[in-house]
Amino acid sequence: MDIHQFQVWLVRTIGGQSPIADLMRTHWAWPIAESLHFLGLSLLVGSIGAFDLRLLGVAKRVPIAAVHRFIPWGLLGFAINITTGTLFILTEPDQYIYNPSFHFKLLFMTIGGINAATFYLTSYRRVFGPDAPLDAPRRAKVIAAISLCAWMGVITGGRLLTFYRPSACEGPQTALLLTCAP
Amino acid sequence: MNIDPFLAWVESTALSQWVIGSPSMFAFPGILTFHAIGMGFAVGISAALDLRILGVAPGIPLADMRRFMPFLWGGFWMNAVSGVLLLIGYPTKALTNPVFYLKLTLIGVAMALYLRISKQAFGKTSNDGGISRSLKRLAIVSLVCWASAITAGRLLAYTYHRLTQLH
Repeated sequence: MDIHQFQVWLVRTIGGQSPIADLMRTHWAWPIAESLHFLGLSLLVGSIGAFDLRLLGVAKRVPIAAVHRFIPWGLLGFAINITTGTLFILTEPDQYIYNPSFHFKLLFMTIGGINAATFYLTSYRRVFGPDAPLDAPRRAKVIAAISLCAWMGVITGGRLLTFYRPSACEGPQTALLLTCAP
Repeated sequence: MNIDPFLAWVESTALSQWVIGSPSMFAFPGILTFHAIGMGFAVGISAALDLRILGVAPGIPLADMRRFMPFLWGGFWMNAVSGVLLLIGYPTKALTNPVFYLKLTLIGVAMALYLRISKQAFGKTSNDGGISRSLKRLAIVSLVCWASAITAGRLLAYTYHRLTQLH
């Protein structure tokens, strides 16, 4: 099964006709879910962003471990957005799975995720250890910069969704990912 | 007061037509993206300060939170500029929608609260041994205000009456 076939299978399997979808199609559900999505993103940018900024040298007097305590709130923001995002996809799967802007959004989320994992697997001990420096090591700074860029990319991918809504496919589709509705 | 002639005039300007009509990614889509990123920083950093006041990350001396505030202001000005451009693009959609005025009011209140909070949080010359209960109350109200402002902003797309005056 190639990627295009997987996308089509995913859209068909999700269907968009579940009780969740029915709920999401009521008058206020979608606007409320979107508002929560924006709140979650603000929480995420503020918390994880603050930690990234600290790694990059902002508020250099403050121990890095102290700023790390914001991260759980960033994860809360992320959890709110994964939840609301899932509700959107479950309701209108084709609008996302065939949307190139959504593909980029997922790409940046993946980069952010791998980047975060790299931080916790490599720099963590150095940055949080007993003689943790106030000036983060170069690798941690690179990770922090990538993190900020990745989340800007996720926001961009999300905001541009509405401008790349998939239409009906015409002719052979040769791109890596399907970006129209077959 | 009939603002229709004013709305028509704004929509007739070259800048307005560029914002809504240009195929450039830096026009309407780019301005919206800029606005979303600015929101993330303005609200996010303000929320981080509010959370700190409410006890999160207590290892950060309260006065040191001041170092993050340039990013709050960066986000605020990003949104003031992009907001004005959006307004120039769709003046009718915004100015004939009561929810738009609600959004601006909420942002005004949130920023006024921020100024008050920062004065108390950063103005102290003594150590931050005690964060007063009134400061904590301000922090809670600040969070609620920003959440409401974001919601009002999102609801704009669902509540407007008229899109344009001219076209």
